[in-house]
Amino acid sequence: MSAENLFASRISFAETPRVSPAGASLAPMKNRAKAVAKNKKGSESQTGLIERLKAGDEAALESLFKLNSAKLYNVALRILGGDASDAEEVLQDVFMTAFRKARMFQGNSQFSTWLYRLTVNAALGRMRRSKKHKEVEYEEFLPKFQKDGHHQVRPVVDWSDTPDEYYGLQETRALLAQALNQLKPVDKSVVVLSDVEGLSDKQIAETLNLTVSAVKTRLHRGRLFLRGKLAVHFGHSAA
Amino acid sequence: MAQRITKTKHLTNKTCKQIAALVLAYLNDELSPRRKRDFQQHLKICPDCVNFLKTYKKTIQATGTLYADDMPSKVRDNIWQFIRSKMRA
Repeated sequence: MSAENLFASRISFAETPRVSPAGASLAPMKNRAKAVAKNKKGSESQTGLIERLKAGDEAALESLFKLNSAKLYNVALRILGGDASDAEEVLQDVFMTAFRKARMFQGNSQFSTWLYRLTVNAALGRMRRSKKHKEVEYEEFLPKFQKDGHHQVRPVVDWSDTPDEYYGLQETRALLAQALNQLKPVDKSVVVLSDVEGLSDKQIAETLNLTVSAVKTRLHRGRLFLRGKLAVHFGHSAA
Repeated sequence: MAQRITKTKHLTNKTCKQIAALVLAYLNDELSPRRKRDFQQHLKICPDCVNFLKTYKKTIQATGTLYADDMPSKVRDNIWQFIRSKMRA
C-alpha cells in the first residue's frame, strides 16, 4: 500500500465542511470565520503554557504538543505528499525547535501561527532536499476563455451536485490528494493552510512570509487547478 | 449563442474571464458594492459562470475533506518519546 493510501485510509471524512458549503447558494461564503475564532481562542488558552515553555518547562511542551500535534502533523503530511515517516520527523524538528527557541517567540503573531511556520518551513525544506517533488504545468487544468472574455468551452458543466458522499470515497480523495501534491510547494502550502486547515489569508501570509495579496493569488490559482482536476475526473472539460 | 454573448456583455459590463478572476474576492465578501452588484448581475444571465462558481465552491468543500482530525496514537507516542529522549540527552 502506498504512503498516500495509508494516509487516506486513516483520515476521517469531515461530516461538516470546514469551509462554507458549496451548494445551490451562490452567496458569498462567510468563510473561515469559525476556524479563525477557534484558533484565536485556542491561542489565548495557550498563553500560560507558552510562558512556562519559555522557562524550559518540559510539561508545558508536552501540553502544547498534545494541543497542536495533530493539526501540524496533518499539514506536514499534506505538504509532503502523504509521507508519514517524513511528517513524523518534521514534527520532531518542530517541537524540538519550539522548546529550544521559545524565547524567540515575541508574541507578534499567534503561537499557533509560529508553529505552523516552523512546520511548513521544515516540510518545504525536506521537500527541497529530497527532490521527490514533480510539478505539473497548471495550464491544462485552468479555465480558458475566448478573446472576448467568454468561456472557451461551453456549456460549463455543473458537477457540483455530485452527492457529498462521493467525496468520501477513497478514489476521489486519493485523486484530490494527488492533485494537491502536483501544486507548486508554496501554492500547496497555501491551499492546505486555507482550505484544509481553515486559516485566514492574514494568518497564512504571516506563516509563509507572503503578502496577503500573494496568498490570494496563489490560493485562487491552486483552487482553479484542483477544480480542473476534479472536472476531468468527473468526465468534463477543465476549461 | 452569439446573441447571448452580446447580450451578456451589454447587460453586465463584465466578461466571464473577469468574473472568474473575482470569484475568490466574491466568496470572501471582499468586493465593493458596485463590483458585487456587477458580479451578481452577470450570474443572473450567464449559466456558465453560475456553474463555474458552483464547481469552484465544491472544490473548496472537497479539499476540506482532506482534513484529518486525529493522528494515530502510535505516531503521536513515537514522536513524543523521541522529543523527550532528546531533551533529556
